[in-house]
Amino acid sequence: MRANPEVLILEDDAETLDELQSHFTRKRFHPLGARSASRALSLLEHNRYSSRPVLAIIDWDLGKAPDRTASSGDVLSRLARELRECPVIVYSQNIDAFNVRSQIQRSHPRALLHDKRDGDASLLERIDRMLDRTVGDLRIHDGTVVVHLPTLEQHHHREAIRLVVHHPDIVTFHSDTATKAVRRFGEWLQSHGSAVRLVSHGNRKYRISVTATEAAEPGIET
Amino acid sequence: MSGGAADGYGVSVSTWLAPRTPVTPTLTEAARGHGPFRSLARLGVEGCFVGATDAPWMLGVRAPDRSRAILVVTIDGELAVAVRDVVPSGMAVVRDARQDDADEIAAACLPWPWMVVGSAVSLTPALSLLLRERPVLTFWLGCAADALPGHARIFERPAALLDAVRRSCAAHVGGMRLAPGSGVELGDGTLLRGATLESLVAAYPGGFALPTRSFRAAAGVLARHDAGWTAVRGGDARMTLAPVPAEQRR
Repeated sequence: MRANPEVLILEDDAETLDELQSHFTRKRFHPLGARSASRALSLLEHNRYSSRPVLAIIDWDLGKAPDRTASSGDVLSRLARELRECPVIVYSQNIDAFNVRSQIQRSHPRALLHDKRDGDASLLERIDRMLDRTVGDLRIHDGTVVVHLPTLEQHHHREAIRLVVHHPDIVTFHSDTATKAVRRFGEWLQSHGSAVRLVSHGNRKYRISVTATEAAEPGIET
Repeated sequence: MSGGAADGYGVSVSTWLAPRTPVTPTLTEAARGHGPFRSLARLGVEGCFVGATDAPWMLGVRAPDRSRAILVVTIDGELAVAVRDVVPSGMAVVRDARQDDADEIAAACLPWPWMVVGSAVSLTPALSLLLRERPVLTFWLGCAADALPGHARIFERPAALLDAVRRSCAAHVGGMRLAPGSGVELGDGTLLRGATLESLVAAYPGGFALPTRSFRAAAGVLARHDAGWTAVRGGDARMTLAPVPAEQRR
């Protein structure tokens, strides 16, 4: 048995939230949906010991939120402080305005930005590219499994998925259990002769790296 | 403000003001020991923080982090947005600071910021001290602030500054290059850790007007790994990387 990785979604529009949640459910993620920032903070608070979302999708403008006691900036700051390893996509109609971008970056320096005017389909496409990505000879399948393409062997641990989703960024792991899982993933890569290797940066920080020959091959995303 | 493509300042940002983020009472709630930020409240009466409830200390940009950091200190954040656009993904975290919170944000960059970029602000005493004691790449746009170190580079145009940032991120010296996030990667994939070494690689062929003792650890790491390079004082009296003569190598 394995738990599906969680995705935090903060979107004030009920229809768009439903659409995003359905999309992630179809891809076997467990969506944590919220229409207000205070609800999103509450979800993070209540899940802090049991889970850590592998992705957060944050709508910057929460004009339709039923509760405005907190802002999307509060959620971003919380994510930056407590879930730094969780990739965050922030989308807004005003993403071109430098003061909006500056506010977002001050709330979460690593947040990825997306233009809401490109439509929901564009956002979903970008999310899919992040979550169903191929790195060297590894591919994430359905958001829950890392597949070694030459052997079709599978690795199921969510920390392995986190590392692949984050490539080439460094991921900090916050528990001995997670660190052990990452080391097992590194051993698994070696035992399968993968072109991807685990690189330790000390202090529970790791990233994956693709060997130069593999990265040079056309069509392989690194 | 948008720059035309002709001056190379290819940043598309508009000057009109977007709605401000609403100020929330969440921290007030936390100060009373309730609400979602309760776990972040500091110790005080009844185990929680009581007193000032200004939100700025909550900003993610102030969260301590050991990743390579570019601290951008400006009045409005526009330059930070432009710098972020030229930094390759995963290479460094851009921290957007104002003059009044630059010290706190610099202190959150562990062990120190890899690069400080500034424009139209004066240096705080703490930041000035940091730049004079640590090998920090220092790029300044427009009039140089007082107390900048001798190795600071001054740029008249944003395009030139952004190009220098881009070149620093892609620096490549004797098979050494900056690894994503932190550290320096050797040609064989070996990862060397050390903020000083990162600065030396990124500044090459330039250097730092700092005491030799600040570079002993980096020289030691290079010698242990027989990298073929070491830190020496160059002709301009700045510490820089130089190849080790063949007869001195192991």
